[in-house]
Amino acid sequence: MVSNAEQGPVRQEAPEYAPGGSAATDAIVVEDVGRVYVDRRSRPTREVTALSGVSLRVAPGEVHGLLGPNGAGKTTLCKILTTTLEPTTGSARVLGRDVTGQSRAVRRSIGLVFGGDRGLYGRLSARENLWFWGAMYGLRRSRLRARAEVLLERVGLADRADSRVDTFSRGMKQRLHLARGLVGDPRVLILDEPTVGMDPVAALDFRALIGELRREGRTVLLTTHDMAEAEAVCDRVSLIDRGRLIMTESTDAVGRLLSGYERVVADDVPAELARRVEALDGVVAVRHEAGRVEVETEQPSATSAVLSVLAGAGVHRVSTARPDLGEVYLHLVGRRGMAVT
Amino acid sequence: MYPSALHLVRYGFLNAVADFKATYTWRSWLFGWLGRMFAQVLFFTGLGRVLDQPGAVRYLALGNALMTCVVDTMAVVATTSGERRAGTLSLLVASPADPVWVFVGRSLHWPISGVATASAALFGLGPIFGITWSASQVPLVVLLTALTALGTYCVGLFLAVVVVNVPRLRNVVSNCAYLAMMAFCGVQVPVGFWPRGIQAVVQAVPLTHTLRALRAVSDNRPAADVFGPVVPALLTAGLWLIAAVVTFRWLVAVPARRAGTLDLSY
Ligand SMILES: Nc1ncnc2c1ncn2[C@@H]1O[C@H](COP(=O)(O)OP(=O)(O)OP(=O)(O)O)[C@@H](O)[C@H]1O
Ligand SMILES: [Mg+2]
Repeated sequence: MVSNAEQGPVRQEAPEYAPGGSAATDAIVVEDVGRVYVDRRSRPTREVTALSGVSLRVAPGEVHGLLGPNGAGKTTLCKILTTTLEPTTGSARVLGRDVTGQSRAVRRSIGLVFGGDRGLYGRLSARENLWFWGAMYGLRRSRLRARAEVLLERVGLADRADSRVDTFSRGMKQRLHLARGLVGDPRVLILDEPTVGMDPVAALDFRALIGELRREGRTVLLTTHDMAEAEAVCDRVSLIDRGRLIMTESTDAVGRLLSGYERVVADDVPAELARRVEALDGVVAVRHEAGRVEVETEQPSATSAVLSVLAGAGVHRVSTARPDLGEVYLHLVGRRGMAVT
Repeated sequence: MYPSALHLVRYGFLNAVADFKATYTWRSWLFGWLGRMFAQVLFFTGLGRVLDQPGAVRYLALGNALMTCVVDTMAVVATTSGERRAGTLSLLVASPADPVWVFVGRSLHWPISGVATASAALFGLGPIFGITWSASQVPLVVLLTALTALGTYCVGLFLAVVVVNVPRLRNVVSNCAYLAMMAFCGVQVPVGFWPRGIQAVVQAVPLTHTLRALRAVSDNRPAADVFGPVVPALLTAGLWLIAAVVTFRWLVAVPARRAGTLDLSY
């Protein structure tokens, strides 16, 4: 979808951001935002608290991941930032403009992309869709046409530019959605599950595209359920659960959150040795498969003990690692299976 | 830079063209759509023959022929609510554009089709009922047809924005509006037939005035009788359009943002 120059993770040095910096310099400021939906269809009417007391700052040029289980409130926050929903309490600003009081100025500077195959005009071609949406952002004539061509190229749809969009596959629509979100040249992008339905190659291209947007100095708020994707593209991630923000952390350091939690991976480990490791104090879990053992520990001393037992038994192919984002996520959100709460 | 209204109408029209192409071929428009509308005119005018009142046939033929364009223009209600179904409504609201101007452009194919339908009925079916037009009357009749189509289109736009976020109401609203216009605006019986309250209300509908003008043309009455009603027709059309813009901005979009009824992805 992108210039093909690079694929896969493209994260470079984290940009200069000052977490908790002044409101004037942050691209996105969310202050103590709460949102209650009143469900009038149910009898008696039911109130659903989708967000409560959420505060978040995103620095200019930062790619920020918004993670959390189904129903956590991610889309609700995206709607508030894109001015399509008013917060019940608290306030939010995008580039210093209030989303409620200065919504028109906010709309000028944001791009919005959501997942799924809606939000496009199926009877128009991909190119016409971009013309249309470009016009919505005030682009005219030659600039409008040129921008559409650049974006079609950028998302890899140049060959299908004249096909009607309702003949597109889901992933192709998703690419067009991305182009649509960029057509107004937004400084802030709100992406709500933008990779839903993309094939793995497209999803990798997407990562490269986010890298490009980041280098162009755009700010991105990205909602995703794909931990690998979040880890690959985000400078920082926030985790929302049941409407509350439960952590914001730089992606590199997220493993630290489970302080003491570590993982030891070793190869060529016989079953008997694995059982001895499992019996050690502070070892939480051991997975043993085809000679490879993965040990989770809950304190550094346990990690040392595991390492010395393995070394003593002559096992040398050993590595330790901090838990990755996926593990942190599971730990913080809990393994609650399919239950939506 | 914020997009101008005209710019939005123009790009909204991209969708009008695409929708029209997807709905009709020239064959299905001619034999399907126009055929159906002709049947409707013939049916109501045929009732006039049964009534056996002098002038009734002429009255009904003119009224029902012009009325055909309203069937077309009321489709703006359904087309506009398609924005919600397509998931584009929230994206329009989230853009710097004023969505109403997009709505204006995106259903323009309906009044255009309406002008063609009503003109075809007036010129094609009229002579059957003894309504003939001189060459000098033709442009005037087409202009009045266009004014009727655009005027009722503005009424339709107003209704469209009222129900754009409540799609289950769209057919009820457009059918009721259509039937009310057919009954009360002087199509089947003169406006004076109805109680005063109704007579007052229908002055707000452009069709009431354009129909008066059309009857004046057909009766070869003086120019004042023809052009007199054009002024209130234009005025009311403009007011409906303004009402649509204001209503969407303040009575639809703002409450929808408050209540959280603008969907993003479902
Ligand atoms: N229009 C609405 N009316 C009533 N309740 C709503 C509405 N929209 C969302 N909710 C509720 O608000 C909560 C948060 O929903 P939201 O869509 O923000 O979650 P999410 O984090 O985006 O979930 P997912 O990962 O499934 O997309 C849920 O409990 C949901 O049922
Ligand atoms: Mg969501």
